[in-house]
Amino acid sequence: MKRLASILAIAALVASACTSSSTTPAPVSGGTLVVGLDGDMVFADPSLVSDGNSLYVAAQVIQGLVGLKPGTISEIIPVLATDLPTVSADGKTYTFKLRTGVKFHDGSDFNAAAVKFNYDRWQAYTKGDLQDNAYYYGAVFGGFGTDSNVATVAAPDPTTVVFTFKTPQSNFLISQTLQVFGIQSPTALQKDKADTTPLKDNKYAQGQGESMVGTGPFMFKDWTPADHATVVKNPNYWDAANAAKVDQITFKPMGDSTAKLQALQSGSIDLAQTISPADVATAKSSSLSIIDRGQSCNLGYLGLNQSVGGTPTIYANKDVRLAIAQAVNKQGYIDAFYAGQGKVPQSWLPAATTGFKAEAMPAYDVTKAKASLTTAALTADQLKVDLYYPSNVVRPYMPDPKALATAIASDLQAVGFTVNLKTEDWHGGYVKDATTGNLPMFLFGWTCDWAGADNFLYTAWFGYQGGKPNAQFGWSNDQANALMLKALQEPTVDAANADWGQVQDLLAADMPTVPIVNSTPPGAFTSKVKGFVGSGNAIEYFNTVTLTK
Amino acid sequence: MLRFIVRRLLGAIPVLLGLSVILFLFLRLLPGGGPAEAILGQHATPELVAQISHTQGFDQPLYVQYFDYIGRLLQGDFGSSFIDGRSVVDSFLVRFPGTVELTIGALIFAVGIGIPLGRLAARHPNSWLDGIVTVISLFGISIPVFVLGYTMAFVFSVQLHWLPDVGQLDPRLDIPAVTHFSVVDAILAGDWHVVDALSHLVLPSIALGSIPLAVITRITRASVIDVSNEDYVRTARAKGLTDRRVNSRHIMRNAWLPVTTVIGLQTGQLLAGAVLTETVFTWNGVGSWVVTSIQNHDYVVVQSLILIFAVIFLTVNLIVDVGYAFLNPRIRYS
Repeated sequence: MKRLASILAIAALVASACTSSSTTPAPVSGGTLVVGLDGDMVFADPSLVSDGNSLYVAAQVIQGLVGLKPGTISEIIPVLATDLPTVSADGKTYTFKLRTGVKFHDGSDFNAAAVKFNYDRWQAYTKGDLQDNAYYYGAVFGGFGTDSNVATVAAPDPTTVVFTFKTPQSNFLISQTLQVFGIQSPTALQKDKADTTPLKDNKYAQGQGESMVGTGPFMFKDWTPADHATVVKNPNYWDAANAAKVDQITFKPMGDSTAKLQALQSGSIDLAQTISPADVATAKSSSLSIIDRGQSCNLGYLGLNQSVGGTPTIYANKDVRLAIAQAVNKQGYIDAFYAGQGKVPQSWLPAATTGFKAEAMPAYDVTKAKASLTTAALTADQLKVDLYYPSNVVRPYMPDPKALATAIASDLQAVGFTVNLKTEDWHGGYVKDATTGNLPMFLFGWTCDWAGADNFLYTAWFGYQGGKPNAQFGWSNDQANALMLKALQEPTVDAANADWGQVQDLLAADMPTVPIVNSTPPGAFTSKVKGFVGSGNAIEYFNTVTLTK
Repeated sequence: MLRFIVRRLLGAIPVLLGLSVILFLFLRLLPGGGPAEAILGQHATPELVAQISHTQGFDQPLYVQYFDYIGRLLQGDFGSSFIDGRSVVDSFLVRFPGTVELTIGALIFAVGIGIPLGRLAARHPNSWLDGIVTVISLFGISIPVFVLGYTMAFVFSVQLHWLPDVGQLDPRLDIPAVTHFSVVDAILAGDWHVVDALSHLVLPSIALGSIPLAVITRITRASVIDVSNEDYVRTARAKGLTDRRVNSRHIMRNAWLPVTTVIGLQTGQLLAGAVLTETVFTWNGVGSWVVTSIQNHDYVVVQSLILIFAVIFLTVNLIVDVGYAFLNPRIRYS
């Protein structure tokens, strides 16, 4: 009897725990939004990161001179500047007028001196930990110190900043929409010794005190690595009309897609940055809303390497590349593996990218593909090909690599190839083998850093490296490379776009790779979340979000 | 006894040194890129990889890297992650409490249910009751942890909303991380938040404890049956002792020995982290950290963590061995 009483007592205790945990507390003055992130932040100093998770959090806290109109990937709007800059005729000087009355989260003033301090700080990053992690500054401006294309950043008065470049830089403005170029409080950076190396001793970068001190609608509160990062509403936000509506956002790293979906269904989280396309139907049937990300900012493609280990492959033959482009049923893949969340590419850029030009891409046509293959006059042995796909990875442009590779192999077999599917672990060699030119035909993709043609065409794929074609494709085209270099140094964006258009014409004429999809990775949120605006580059702002009971 | 403990501790030193050499070489023989590729992600061009490898010392000869690592280790510096620059010790102190809590939860579940079930089965061997216990054991040991975890999360969180399925604490409660032991932090925060912390422990503990439960149940059953057939038990019954007294004084006291060994071994394993359980329940522990670090070729983190796990495992084993002497006075170590 005593034992029964004990069991009942324990049961009552468990039941009370259950009841207590299942009761959703009533939101108090805006409430807490819980967001499931794809992974953890890396550093709490945005200038030292290049990963999407850190930037997703930073977007709520840090602001730059310019930004992107919410929901778009390339519509540049002034943020801490009052307007877009005036540009000198030679394209070397950009002058920004700044907002007045803006304060950093630590109460110090935002002004031209603060902007100059930040740009000078990045340019002066020392070799080692700082330069190794500040990828974007080096990539955008061609290096640090005297290698940087930035000649001077001047602050002639508190509301004017003048950038002078050594050579014109057509991607300057769009690249500055990245959160890594957000302006942080010089007072906080100096006080907390934000340039300390090694980074294990850098409390600012580690988020273990005052970190990420910007001007945004939310303020950084704390970060427990691998567990959560929290930002709270900025009560003194300079743009009252766009102030945050929720009190707090907790970002919870959640790598597992099934766990993320269940957490949404149970209400443990309110919004998931991404969910698997395979879970979209389940999410919809669970009354969850799918994030409309509108404009894609990535491209998944079938890589064709024309030279592996110095030996030409069959992909050096243009008719073979054309046959493959005609053989693959891209729309079919999008319907089957992307839950319809994607579009067939019309070029080597997503359609909303600056510099995009629609090309007449080869349509899915088995008859034409067979004809192209006949023209290529391959031997039976040459028609036996290896197709590589990565294992143990999911990418926004490649949610199910094995299934996609299997479908492509099936389509290629239908026109006469004999395809041998091969795989390597993404982390355990695939990326290295693909990018160093060891894979003849492979699945890969690129997610934009910024939605400019240069970021895809030059940085990711076809820009010569060390004076040689990118080993990934072995596509040698001096004209295209010269055009890309010219485009990068054009004084105006329009002039650069004309060059990028010509580069795309050359690509369409030569088909060095086969673009497969511009996807918009799905995310989801519960019915409690209102006012969220998704974006194809996954830089999304939560100041418009409200929570309902 | 003291000599035994000292000898065991000294014996651990060559084991740990040997392990460090094997780990060091093995990790660097893994296929694929290195930490520079992981830092750079999709931006990993050969030039940038070479630049970072040089500045971070990844291109140094292996023996230089090894002696550099061991030299710092002997000074108590376990190094820092190549990826986030964070000290291994700092990260360990944040994540290990979660693993300890989960281990305790899983052991309470496994021992609290496993031993009574094993005793029950042993008292009625080959009966239908024994059959049910056997089925439960087989179920626990054969069902994959992630299947059990997802299923329980679906039933108890998604459908019934009885128990939470994410993390150690409700993020909406905003409980400060003081000790990183969620139960302790919840107690410190007051306002009955400890109920929230305990409710978060229930499902992961059951999922993680399912295999130890099965093992402990089977071992308890076998051990109790074994001891029950001993002459001294028959003698005790013949003397007219009550069933309860025979069980507690003569059977269980002796049956404890193998059960203790198994619990000790299970504890050592659980403390090294539970990758699947941590993943399914988004639990911040050391298991998933090891996996991520291996994927990122974050050598220093993996080396240091496995050495720490080895120390924990050796310590738990030593405690079990020492505990033997207290449980069984006939055992003496020399």
